Formats: sequence, structure tokens, C-alpha cells
Amino acid sequence: MRGILHYLWLYRARIFLGLVALFIVDGAQLVVPLIIRAAIDELAQTGTAQLVLYAGYILGIAAVVAVFRFFWRYFIFGTSRMIRRDLRDRLYAHLVKLSPNFFANTKTGDLMAHATNDVEAVQFACGLGVLALADAIIMVSFSLAAMLSINWQLVLYAFTPLPLVTVFVVVVGRMIHRRFMAVQEAFSLLTEKVREAISGVRVIKSFAQEMGFSKDFGRTNEFFIEKNLSLVRVQGFFEPMIALLAGLSSAIVLLVGGQKVISGAISLGDFVAFTSYLGMLTWPMMALGFVINLMQRGAASMERIEKILRTEPEITDAPDAQPFPQEASLECRRLTFSYPQTNGRPVLRDVSFSLEEGQKLGIVGLTGSGKSTLVHLLLRVFDPPEETLFIGGVDVRKIRLSELRRAIALVPQDPFLFSTTIRENIAFGRPTASEEEIIEAARIAGIYDEILEFPNGLDTVVGERGVSLSGGQKQRVAMARALLLNPKILIFDDALSAVDAEKEEEILRNLREFMKLKTAIVIAHRISAVKDSDLILVFDQGRIVERGRHDELLALDGIYARLYELQQAEEAVKL
Amino acid sequence: MTYHWEEEKLGAAYDAAIMRRLLTYVKPYTKLFILCFGLIVVITLCELTLPYLTKIAIDQYIRPGQLGGLYLLAAIFVGILVIRLIASFAQVYLLQLSGQKIMRDMRTQIFDHLMRLPTKFFDKNPVGRLVTRATNDVAAINEMYASVLVYLFKDVFLVLGIFIIMLQLNWQLGLLILVLAPIIAYATWEFRKRARDAYRDFRRKLAKLNAYMQESLSGMRIIQLFAQEERSYKTFQSINQEEYEANMRQLMVFAIYQPIIHMMSAIAVALIIWYGGGGVIQGFFTLGSLVAFLNYVEMLFAPIRDLAEKYNILQGAMASAERIFMLLDEKPEDRGKGRILPSVQGRIEFRDVWFAYEDEDWVLRGVSFTVEPGERVAIVGPTGSGKTTIISLLTRLYDIQKGQILLDGVDIRELDVQFLRSQMAVVLQDVFLFSGDVLGNITLQSDKIARERAIEAARFVQASSFIEQLPNGYDAEVKERGATLSVGQRQLLAFARAVAFDPKILILDEATANIDSQTESLIQESLRKILRGRTSITIAHRLSTIRESDKIIVLHKGVVVEQGTHEELLARKGLYHALYTLQFAETEAVKAE
Repeated sequence: MRGILHYLWLYRARIFLGLVALFIVDGAQLVVPLIIRAAIDELAQTGTAQLVLYAGYILGIAAVVAVFRFFWRYFIFGTSRMIRRDLRDRLYAHLVKLSPNFFANTKTGDLMAHATNDVEAVQFACGLGVLALADAIIMVSFSLAAMLSINWQLVLYAFTPLPLVTVFVVVVGRMIHRRFMAVQEAFSLLTEKVREAISGVRVIKSFAQEMGFSKDFGRTNEFFIEKNLSLVRVQGFFEPMIALLAGLSSAIVLLVGGQKVISGAISLGDFVAFTSYLGMLTWPMMALGFVINLMQRGAASMERIEKILRTEPEITDAPDAQPFPQEASLECRRLTFSYPQTNGRPVLRDVSFSLEEGQKLGIVGLTGSGKSTLVHLLLRVFDPPEETLFIGGVDVRKIRLSELRRAIALVPQDPFLFSTTIRENIAFGRPTASEEEIIEAARIAGIYDEILEFPNGLDTVVGERGVSLSGGQKQRVAMARALLLNPKILIFDDALSAVDAEKEEEILRNLREFMKLKTAIVIAHRISAVKDSDLILVFDQGRIVERGRHDELLALDGIYARLYELQQAEEAVKL
Repeated sequence: MTYHWEEEKLGAAYDAAIMRRLLTYVKPYTKLFILCFGLIVVITLCELTLPYLTKIAIDQYIRPGQLGGLYLLAAIFVGILVIRLIASFAQVYLLQLSGQKIMRDMRTQIFDHLMRLPTKFFDKNPVGRLVTRATNDVAAINEMYASVLVYLFKDVFLVLGIFIIMLQLNWQLGLLILVLAPIIAYATWEFRKRARDAYRDFRRKLAKLNAYMQESLSGMRIIQLFAQEERSYKTFQSINQEEYEANMRQLMVFAIYQPIIHMMSAIAVALIIWYGGGGVIQGFFTLGSLVAFLNYVEMLFAPIRDLAEKYNILQGAMASAERIFMLLDEKPEDRGKGRILPSVQGRIEFRDVWFAYEDEDWVLRGVSFTVEPGERVAIVGPTGSGKTTIISLLTRLYDIQKGQILLDGVDIRELDVQFLRSQMAVVLQDVFLFSGDVLGNITLQSDKIARERAIEAARFVQASSFIEQLPNGYDAEVKERGATLSVGQRQLLAFARAVAFDPKILILDEATANIDSQTESLIQESLRKILRGRTSITIAHRLSTIRESDKIIVLHKGVVVEQGTHEELLARKGLYHALYTLQFAETEAVKAE
């Protein structure tokens, strides 16, 4: 609740104006019965009346109401939409700072739900909720005051059903809430059943169990209906019952009020005005449950959003963060690392090596042997333990993040491209790059010729709404993206796996010139990609089991040699 | 709440063809709906009577000063209230009942249809989108049935009733009010157009915003790796601002329309005061009638104000219906020619099979091999050589482009697809577990597999030891995707599943992930037991599995490169030899750990 109040306070000026407008509108509306009363009384008593005057008053008031109605809508609903925008901005700004560990443990679907459902619930609470609450309070107090000024005894009579109403609203309100929750849960269950059946459809088909799953779904379906109907049984009773109780009030007023008119205690006009005011009370009464519900949901959603906003980013700049060192040499000192939340099973064990600036490092090994992890630590996707990973002699953890990431470019295993033009994808890391630089990067990556064949060349849109690139093409665009950064250290994580041997050779040739002065790390499955490295490390289960240059490793006749043999044999299979 | 962050194709709010199709779902419940309409007529009549009673009260009892009749009138008043209560409750309940049943029918239809769609469809459509169809989109349509259609009828009926009564009380005044109608109609028409445009624009901007956010979240790693957080945020801010502006424009349309309608109602009231009051002065109009008119006019404008809301709901429902019907119109998978073999030996033959997932991107090229009944065949080869694809083709999850796949000499496309699949059991690398309990995951809820048989199967594959240690044993809860079980345990469960279904042919895709040594030995033992005496095709990674096979097929880049027994292939010193020696070296390295 506090979070919502905070936002309302932030925009207090606008909301105040809105409430003032609302006050005027409600006030004006409450004056109308008085005018009608005057008109009727005049007619009743004198047989004539200044009708045009009264009609004029009504039109005048209606005009005022119309104008100020617009204003409260603008100020109150408009503000709730501002709050919605601001909340989303804040959420996004915060998410962008959070670490990969957070994203690994949080489903994108959940985050989207927060950004949509929850933000909307807050918007409704701040807009509709505030409005309904204020409106109800104003209407009730004014109407009550007006009714009391007419005849307080009549008010007492009219309110005899009131205690019943209160009890009814509270008791039934609670029942409704419980059943409503049950419906939400049943809906979640239904959604999950569908999601699972779709995700596991291949298993269901393979075992020919479609019918069994349909039957099971049918059961959940029936369960869902039951819960809904149980809610309807109570909810469907709620409003008409309130209407009945309100109607009872009217009936009592008809009787007692009528008596009082006959006996002369009040005028006919008073009677008519009184019934009008009574009518104005029904909506606030019925709205009560609805408003409470709205506010509760808004508060709950706000809490969920704030939980995310309170999450601290795990990877940040150290207080004494340094710029990227002059020399791009690498050193790894007895690095042992395990991912958080994996019961301490180390992914890298006692890794040590050193690489001078401008040298090339090759890394090979089986899947899951920890190769990519090493690279992620270098980029501080996860933080390595202190004093284990050094660039130019400086602990990686002490280097300013933005500089670290501009100086090191990664071509990842699974290239992610955005649904935008090829040009924008390549220039992603350096949007101010010139056309020549972009073309050059694409050429080195061996993708430029193919880009020229696309309908719009560099301006071709890729992704869901555009052209679908093959795996190899995506990798090469990702490569161009990295090359464009002109980084000090270039890392290829299995970056040519989807590219055939011929193309791979062409790209490697292009790269040789480009990478002359740069430090590079190449992780690959194919030995052909790392053959010319200054140092090759063979990883297995997180440990370096063999190291050296290509010929040294072949001489060892170990895993590397066997791997090389296998790949030669594969090549020998001519198609 | 519904979220459509895909681009929406918003057609006309009322598309006759879609409406007609939607009405077919109503047909089974016509009686309920007619009852509803009947009740609505009753409720509306009640509501129309109440102001009239007030008029009578004023004219015949209060003015003349007759108290007696007032009691009777009050009693009738309450009586009508009670009737309205009962009728309201009954109507709401019946409407919800039929609405729920219609939704259930729709959901069932969607689900059943989904289960019959070809695997290719699921490759192309994200799970989330399909789930939305079956849940949120159906709910949007229910909104329409429950909030709009029936109440639209009520509103029309009410408005007609009010006009009739007004004309009957005093036709001149009634006509005067009627004159306002075209003005209101025009205002509503203008509003509708602008509301629709503003709505569309808003939904488009919202979809754009959500799409951007979704993509950013998926690609957050890249955004951070390339230090583009600031720029990403700025872009988000501007799209967010656009959405806000579109939202505000929509608000403006309503903010202008509502006061206009209110002015209309005020004009009506003013007219009544002026003309009606004049009538009272001149004696042809009673005070009671005047009051009644004022009440009726109030009742008249409420539904008009609600119109805007109802329009929104209608638009949303139409869009949802369109999407659902697109899904229902997708062709289900080919069930084959329906042939069933009286007895199955289990001989499998691949004859010059060519297969590509897309166009001519061949994954299998001219693959030919035979598996005799009772033979244990292992398929080996480097990653991407097409091994997993062979499994999908055997169960006809995909159809081949060239060549034939034969079971006992019969092309599998001739056979009824469910019959074909029931002859085989597949155990994949990544075992898919359903939420529910352990038993359900073994039987896949088949009513043909009794509990005892499932437990027997579990015992046979050595899964019983860990299952019995779980709280509730076989009834232990399995969470979403079986997250709490280890890779090894899931493999054992999958074995139990396969054995429980007792197929003629077993198809296995061995897991490559690291399994703890204890479970690993259990699995190896269990594998030996299940494979004994059964026809099997295994995509093998374990040296033991490969060595103990009757025939080994070496696949590389979609081509069968070598075939034979372990000894024969080793002797050739070709690809198999290289593969085997590498694996051997790696295993030795692991053992030395």
C-alpha cells in the first residue's frame, strides 16, 4: 500500500486538481435535486413557476458538470496512466542493471507478467480506485447532509436496512474473495495443464496417449467451471440483494415520506429530492466491495514490483574501479569456480595459464568441460574469485565494467540477433560506426556477399518479422558485430560451428590480418580453427589436461591427438 | 487479464462471419439462453414498473392526502423488488452457466485439436502463444457473451419500454425527448469511429512495447556484453512514451464523449421541467407524471453511457475469436491409411531415406539399413549426423520426402499412426516429465496400464529403489518438468515408462550428460535387462552399449558410412575406429580422475 501512496504523493498536485474537479462535479450534481424540488414545490403550491429559469439552472449546472467531468477524468485517470508509464520505466531501468544470474533464475514470462499485469493493477488502483473511493466518500457525505437537512427522522427510517447491508457486505464480501482466489488458482492450473501438454506433445504423440491427456484436461476443465459457478452463486446474489435492500429503503421512504407529505411535515418537493439523494447512495454502497478489491490487488502488485526493484545487481563496479589496462595480456592463476546455486560443484578447477598481448589462445575440449565459463568470467558475466583472473596485471574485478566490455568482444556460441536491420545488428556495440566500417566488418566475417543478395541489403530486417537467417549466417553477423568494436581482446566461442570447412578457412584467412595485434581466444570443436594458436589448452571436466602448441600436443599422443585423428577421419568421408 | 503482445489484426468490431461461427457454440444451450432472455424481460418490466408506481403514489395518494392506499402500494413495491431479485439472480446464474459451458466446449475443442496437430506446427509456434489461445482468448469471448450480448438485448428492450411508457404518459413530451435521439446517435457514431481508431493505435503501441521488452529480456546478455544498457533504456523510454500518448488519446475520446452524453441528459431533464411543468400549470399533466418522467430519463441514459465499455469488449472478443478460428482451421497430422497388422514381428527397414526439416536442407541422405526382430542395433556418429532425426521418423513425428520406412515390410505411412506408435517406446535424452505423480509419469495416465504393472516395470529397471525412498513413493509429487529429480533418476523413470508400455521395439537416445556413478551403474544394468530379447535401436554413447550391440551403424552428415559388428568395424580402421579410440581415451582420462 505504501508504494502506491508514494506514487500518489508524487503526483499530488494533479490528483488534488482532479479531486477538486470531482468535488465540484459531485456538488453540482447534488444541487440538481434541490432545483427540481424548488420547481415541484412551486408547482404544487402556487400552480405556476418560473420554469424557464429552472430549466436554465439545470442546463447551466450540466455545463459546469460536463467541463469539470472532463477535468477529473484528465487529472485522475491521466495521472494513473502517467504512473503506469513511470513504473514501467523504473522497472526497465532497474532490470537492465541486474546480473545474468538473476535472469537465469527468473522466467522471462514472469518478468513480462510483472511489467504488464502488475503495472496495470497498480494503474487501476491509482486511477479507478482513487476515483471510486473519493466519489463514494463525497457522494455519501453530501447526500447524507442533504437528506438530514430535509428531515432527520426520515433518514433514520430510510437507513433501517443499513446494518443489514453492512453485515451482508462484510460477510458475503469475504466469501466472494475466497471463491475468487479459488477461481484464480483453478485458472492457473488450467493454464499449466495446457502449457505442459503442448511442451510435451512429442512424448504424448510418441506413446499415442492423446486421449488420456484429453480426458485429464476435461477433468481440469470441469473443475474450473465448478469453481466459477461457486463464485457466481454468491456474486450473482450479491448485487441484486444490495439492490433489494436499497429498494426496501425506497419503499420505506415512499410510505413514511408519503405520510409526512400528507401530514405536511415535508413538502412534495422535499419528498422527491429525498428519493433522488437516496438513489445516489446505492452506487457507493455497491462499489465498496469493488473498490476494496481493486486497492488490494493494486497493493499486492506493487509489492511484487518493488521486490524486483529492491533486488541488488550482483555484478557492479568496484569503488576503486580502474580503466582498462594498456596492455591486453591475460593471466589466470589457480582459478577454481562453481556457479552459484549448484551445490559447489566446480566447473573450472585449478586453471592456470598466461598469454601475452597479441598472442592467440586456443581452447578445445568436450561439451561441458568449462570452456565457455572461462570466457564468461573474463567478461564478468559472473565474477571470478578475487585474484584469479588478470588482464594486463589488473584483477578483472577491479576494471570498470563499461570499459571492460568495450575492450573485449565476444562472438557467442548461440548468436542472439535483434529483430531489426542487419546494419543495426552489426553496429549494435558501436552505433556511431561509419558505413565503410560496417561493410568492412561484414566482409571479414564472410557475410558481406550474402548480405548484398538480400532484398534490402544491409537494411534487410531479420528475426520474427523479417528474414530468417540460417545458423551459419547468424553466427557471421554476430562475428561482424564483434569485429566492429575493434576490441583489444577478441573471443570466439565455438563461433564457426555452423559454418562449413571451406567458409571457415576463408574467414580465418580474413581474420589473420585483422587480428595481428590483438589478443584472441578461440574456443572450438574443430582443431582446424585452433591449429595456429600460440598456446592450446585442452579442457576436460574443468581441468586443463594437456597444453602446448599443435605439434607438441600431437606428440603427446593423448586426447588432443585422438581428437585430431577423428576429425581427419571425418574429413576423409567424402560426400 | 489478457495480453496480446503480438501485433493484432483488428478488423471491424463486428465481422458477420466470425459472429456466425461464434453463435454455433451457443446452439446447444439455446434453451438456457431463451430462458435468460425471458428472465431479462421480467427484470426489465420490474424496473419499468417502479417509477410508474411512484407516479401513482404521488398522483392518487399523496396529493389527495389518502394514506390508506399508500400501504398497499408500498407492499406492491416491495413485492416487485423481490421478484426482481429472484429473476436477477436466476438470470445471472443461467447466463454464467451457459457462458462457462460454452467456454468449456471451446477449450476442449482447442485442446483436442492441438493434440492432433503435426509436430511441424509446434516447431513453428511458441508455446506461450498457443496457451493464450486456449485460455485468455477463450476468456475474452466469454466476456462478450456474459457482459455484452445479453445485456445489449436488455438495454434495447429497456430503452424501447421507456419510450413506450413516456409516449403513453404524454405523447408530446415523449416526442420531444425522442428528438434528442438523432443527436445522440450522431454523437455516438462519431465517438465509435474515434474510439476504434484510438483503441487500435493504443493496442499497436502496447504490442510494440511488450515485444521490445520481451526481446530485451531475452537478449539481456548481449545488451550487457556490448555495454548498451543506456541506449536500450532510452529506446524503451521513447516507446513507453508513445504508448502513454496513445493511451491518453484514447482517454481523451472518452473524456469528451461522456460529458456530451451527460449534457444530452441534462437537456432532457430541462425539457421535462419546462414542458412538463408547463403542462402541470395548464392542467393536462400531473405532478406524478412529471416525477415519473424524470426517473425514466435517468434510466434511459445509463445504458448509453455504458455503450463505450461494451464496444471495447466486443472488439477484444472479435480479435480473440479470429485467432482461435485460425488455430482450429490448421490441418491435423496425417493419420496414415489406417491399416493395422494382426501380429508384429518388429522388423524395421530404412530404404534409401532422404529427409529434410526445411526445403532441401537434407539431414538424411539415402539412408538404408535393416533391423531384424530381436536385434540390438546401435547408431553412432558425430553430432549433427542425423541420429536423433531417425527416431522422430520412426514414430512418424515427421514424414520423409524420399524413400521408405517399413515395419514388417509394410510402409509405415500405410499403417494407422497410433497403432504404429504403440508398437514402439521411445526414451529420449532429455526426459520430459509431467507434473503430477511418479506413477502418472510411468503410465502417462493410460487406463490400459494398471498400478501393479507400473510398479513391476519400475522394479525391473531398478528405479524402485529411489522411488520408494521418496515421500509417498509412487504417489510422490513431481514438480514442473521434474526439476527435483536428477538426470539419472529421470532416465530410470523413462526406462520404467518404456517397459510399462511393453513395446515390440525399443528406441533409445542415450543421455550424454554426466550422471553420478551410482546411478550410472544402475542404468547400465537396467539397460542390459531391457534390451535383452527385444528389438532395439539405440543412439549410443556408452562404450558398453556399443560393444554389446548386434549391429552398429555409423552415421556421418546424414549418410550411413559403415555398418557391421564392433570387431568388423574396428578392423576397418575407418571413422568408427577413430571414434571408438577417442572415446576410449576420454573414458580412461575420466577414470584416472
